[in-house]
Amino acid sequence: MAVCVAVIGKDNSPLYIGGVGNDTSTDNELSRQWLVHTALDALEERLATTNSNNTATNTNTSRTDLRDLYLGLLYSTDTHKIYGYVTNTRIKLVLVTSSTSPSGSNIRDAEVRTALRRLHALYADAICNPFHLPGEQITSQKFDKQVKNIMLNNV
Amino acid sequence: MATQPSDYTEFPPEIILKPLALVGLSGLDAINNAVHKEIWDAFSNNRRADRTPVRFKLLNNTFEFPVVKPKRNSYEWYIPKGILKKNWIHKRVTLIPAVVVIFYDMDWNDPQWNEKIIECASKVQSIRAAVEGHATRVAVVVIQSRLSPPPSEYMLGAERAQALCAACEIQSKSLFVLPHSDHLMGYIVRLENAFYDIAQNYYHHETKNVKQHRDHLNKTTHQYLFVRHQFKLGYLNELKQDMSTAHKHYMHAYNNLLETRTVDTNIHEVRTVAGYINYKLCKLLFALNLPRDAIAQLKSHVERYKNRIGSTELLFEHYAWIARQYSAFGELFDEAIRAGLPGIQSQHPGFYYQHAAQFTVKRRQAMRSVCNEALQYPPPPDPMDGIVEFYGQRPWRPGRLSADPHDPQKEQAAILALQYNERIFNHSAMIISFLGCAISQFKTFHSPRMRKQLVVEMANEYYYSADYGKALTLLTHMLWDYRREKWWFLASHVLNRALQCAYLSAKIQDYLQLSIEALSKHIQVPNNDKDRIFRNIMSVLNMNIPGPEPDLPAASQGKALELWQFAIEKEPLNIVLDMVNITSFMEVKPKFKQQKYRMDEIIEIEVYVRLTYAAHLEVKKSHLTISSHTEAIEIPIIDNANSFTLEGGKVKRFLCQFKCNPQDSGSDLHIKNVSFILDSDRRRKIIMNFKMDDNKTSESTIHPELLHFIISPKADFEFDCIVPLTVASIISRECKLSFSVSNASPALQGEWFPTQFSITNNEASTIYDMKIVLSLLGSPDNPNPESVTELSFTEGEPQAQPLKLVVANIDPSASYTNQFYLKTNRTATTTIQIKVSYVINLPEISKLECIKDFTTKITVIKPFEVSTNFVSMNFKPITKCFVDDPFVVMPQIKILSPWDLLIVDTDLEVLECFTFSDDAKPPSCISNLEVSEKNIASDAICIQAKFKPKDNPTRVGLYNITWRRKSNLRGHCVMSSTALSGLPIDECPIAVEVNYPEVIEQLTSVPLKCSLIGKSTTPVRLSLSVEGTDAYMFSGYKKIMVTIPPKDKLELCYNIHPLVAGNTTPPRLKATVVGDSSMQEVISEMFDKKFPQNIFVMPKYNK
Repeated sequence: MAVCVAVIGKDNSPLYIGGVGNDTSTDNELSRQWLVHTALDALEERLATTNSNNTATNTNTSRTDLRDLYLGLLYSTDTHKIYGYVTNTRIKLVLVTSSTSPSGSNIRDAEVRTALRRLHALYADAICNPFHLPGEQITSQKFDKQVKNIMLNNV
Repeated sequence: MATQPSDYTEFPPEIILKPLALVGLSGLDAINNAVHKEIWDAFSNNRRADRTPVRFKLLNNTFEFPVVKPKRNSYEWYIPKGILKKNWIHKRVTLIPAVVVIFYDMDWNDPQWNEKIIECASKVQSIRAAVEGHATRVAVVVIQSRLSPPPSEYMLGAERAQALCAACEIQSKSLFVLPHSDHLMGYIVRLENAFYDIAQNYYHHETKNVKQHRDHLNKTTHQYLFVRHQFKLGYLNELKQDMSTAHKHYMHAYNNLLETRTVDTNIHEVRTVAGYINYKLCKLLFALNLPRDAIAQLKSHVERYKNRIGSTELLFEHYAWIARQYSAFGELFDEAIRAGLPGIQSQHPGFYYQHAAQFTVKRRQAMRSVCNEALQYPPPPDPMDGIVEFYGQRPWRPGRLSADPHDPQKEQAAILALQYNERIFNHSAMIISFLGCAISQFKTFHSPRMRKQLVVEMANEYYYSADYGKALTLLTHMLWDYRREKWWFLASHVLNRALQCAYLSAKIQDYLQLSIEALSKHIQVPNNDKDRIFRNIMSVLNMNIPGPEPDLPAASQGKALELWQFAIEKEPLNIVLDMVNITSFMEVKPKFKQQKYRMDEIIEIEVYVRLTYAAHLEVKKSHLTISSHTEAIEIPIIDNANSFTLEGGKVKRFLCQFKCNPQDSGSDLHIKNVSFILDSDRRRKIIMNFKMDDNKTSESTIHPELLHFIISPKADFEFDCIVPLTVASIISRECKLSFSVSNASPALQGEWFPTQFSITNNEASTIYDMKIVLSLLGSPDNPNPESVTELSFTEGEPQAQPLKLVVANIDPSASYTNQFYLKTNRTATTTIQIKVSYVINLPEISKLECIKDFTTKITVIKPFEVSTNFVSMNFKPITKCFVDDPFVVMPQIKILSPWDLLIVDTDLEVLECFTFSDDAKPPSCISNLEVSEKNIASDAICIQAKFKPKDNPTRVGLYNITWRRKSNLRGHCVMSSTALSGLPIDECPIAVEVNYPEVIEQLTSVPLKCSLIGKSTTPVRLSLSVEGTDAYMFSGYKKIMVTIPPKDKLELCYNIHPLVAGNTTPPRLKATVVGDSSMQEVISEMFDKKFPQNIFVMPKYNK
């Protein structure tokens, strides 16, 4: 279903970018990174508006916590659709589907939501590793394998 | 817009122009006639959006209207040669006015009226003749320069206007009068509206004309005409400012065009016209405030024509056309936003400019694949020569509709010409321009990262067009952001391209900086060949030309080599690199060993350096920059020798030691910079500066506690766990002075309280220039002590605070003693700070200044409390007094001081309404009285009221006590003043004096004289009676009526004879006022007070 999945830290640095594609050449990796990086614009804008709305309506902090972590479709290009998910610790999860492939174009919102939730769980598992440094890139092979599974499972 | 790049796909100006009704003004001589010029300016200048949508054209006498084509009666045999004629719009907007207005100077009461009317009519006729065949309307404006005619001529005006209409054969509503007066602009605006109405009428008429043709058309041969007519209707409605109808007709035109069959020969024409109609549609949709529909229209438009490519030899034309659709739409969108349409992050003009850029890139690709053979322009005759009557038609086969090429050779030559033109077209400039537009839009709509990506694309484009300098500038700026957000893959991509640019433009500074950054572990370089980059750095350092970067365009390499040969020996020789802002192959962590250093300690800084790139790096020189508030010093980093070698992958530790400057005491030292200098003795140096920012270190994301989980070699000094410490404070050295205080605390309020202090030098050597500063310290219960407290070194003389004292030198173990005095009026604890500063010569540091603060607290209490009693002359407490009636004031001094006091003297200062009853002020009863704690000293002073003041006095007077400590024999006396409480004063019209003895003997007659004295100015009549008792006999009037004369006295004499011994009540006089009963109360009180209740009677002994 997905062609690319990215985990981005709260300082907007990439923690993990994984993609399945026909080739893993530099060009492909580059376009994938551009795509995820520019998705941050939409993510940040979305977060900024939710926050300002919350302060504007003068609700307490619990309201912020109640915010749905899944942000839905951030934007779509001619070739890709980009979905976002932000954890409470401001870790951003991005999922990219291809609108050209039949499986990617017909994807339902609920499927993406489930996939991102599972990715969140995997991320939480990965950083529980005491040998992982918070803020560093996730190099765990297990994590990589599991994430690739999520991406492929739904193909 | 001027920012849009131009090529053959650009829309002609008449398509972009906003259609406005054309009004021709005739008969205005704007050059020679001032009035006419003013009128013309009022029409033509300052045409803002809020004015009537009309365009004015000044028609001179030679203006010629286009010739009218003969009306076609049947379309049966007519085959259109194209879709839209190029000159049609032009004619509508500049050549065929909807209205021609003839201006004529004429007053109604003009003397030469008859001649003028004929001239005017002939002018109208000539215009009529000129527009023959067109439905153009004619109107006449009569310019009247005179003031408004008198009422008597109204009739004349109406008549003559009618006459003029008749002469000119115009309707009366087409005749206007323009008085040339103060309110010109108002008249002009009204005329404008009138013209606009006529114009609308005209265009409406025109649309009817066009509609009439429609019935004659058939779909097989006249498909083009369906498009053309609908387009014309749309345009005429636009001129009429009927936007929604215009949109409807354009939409019909667009749909009719879609139905036409497209083949290679007409595809260019069809899509060109489709582009124009689409542009009109989108523009109208934005104007109708339907931006979503506009976007949808563009999307479906591009979707429909995406696959109508046409001839593959001219594939680039197709992409050029798509790019233009997008960029034109971007422009429209941008205009709409400027007119108030809100844009959002996910939908703004930037995307369309970006698409335009992308399709221009595709256009270039197409050009590369199909134009390889087009090496030169075809020989004459030039196929591009030729006049084209219709939009989008080819000059070499104008008006031909058949699908097969008419002349294959000519066709070939034409394609070659197009390909050649495309080949020499500067695609990069166009892409850069589109990207530039997109970048500014993405910036406006909160998409900084998208913007960055586009900037990098723009830089790539500059790179392809060999503008390496510009590319490098853009890339180095973008590199910064990717580095900051740690997108190393993207940063590597940008950096490698930037490095290529730096090499190709031979910019040594940038080249070295980028090369050094390329060696960072985060950066990936092509072929993973970091050794090459390291060698290049060393080459530049050794004044050699570095090796080229991989994948450079072959054409630029030779030029680059030339540039390097020119640049390598020249400036910049000292290359300063700011290493903190880039990620590099060296990491530096300087650290003060302690957070605080005393002045006499040696400051030690540890510098850890890690070289992450596996090489040996020889550092010629290296130093730390330390700054304090006074200066910045450089401390060399030394490892046996000045130069040292860093080994790749290892951490090296350096220790720098230095002494601090005596002036830095109490301030902070900052590590500002760590510099490493690479030098190969060939004039060129690379100075790598690691600037330490105090703020930066605090926000570091290092979690040392977590880093311990990571296995790192011990030889690294656990580099990752080191937290840099770049600030250390210098504190003064520990002071070895001792301080003692002796005083008789608590101090008493108001006294000059002496305190003796002594300072002993416990240092090993003599101290110099000792200075002592005494000051008061405020505290919560004693704020602003200096306002109520005096300090002095001499008793009784206040000195300016803080007290300063210069003591010269003190030898070791000697001491210095002095005494200070404190006087305060506040009963609280006073804190005194004694600041001692001195200079000492130590073995390590000479002339070291030391400072030490001592404080001592002194409690201040009240020496005594004063309370007052008032008693009458017979010592009975009273609550009020009468005028001229003496009484006794008894101040009581309760001693609170723990120290014995000597009351030297007391003194009562009475208010002016009181006076002492004695002739002279009596001496104090308690002078020279020694008192100790809890004693109460009572004084007694007899005073009387002189008169009754308006308000009862709040106090009787001030009671001054002069006192000193008993122990302090020769010291100053202290005078404390207390206000004594007040006593109400009353007036009595009479005074009574009775000479009652205190004690009498039994059975002994005592004469009693009772004087009644009149105080008031009127006589007082009293009825007196004696209230006898059993204990006495008495003689005298028992009951009598008396009149007390004013200011005089009346005496009554009695004898009393006590019968029993002991405490007895004597007979007493009672008075009742006859007449004015208001005085009764005071007089009874007076009598009660004067006549005693008790007299002690001594028993008489019979001897």
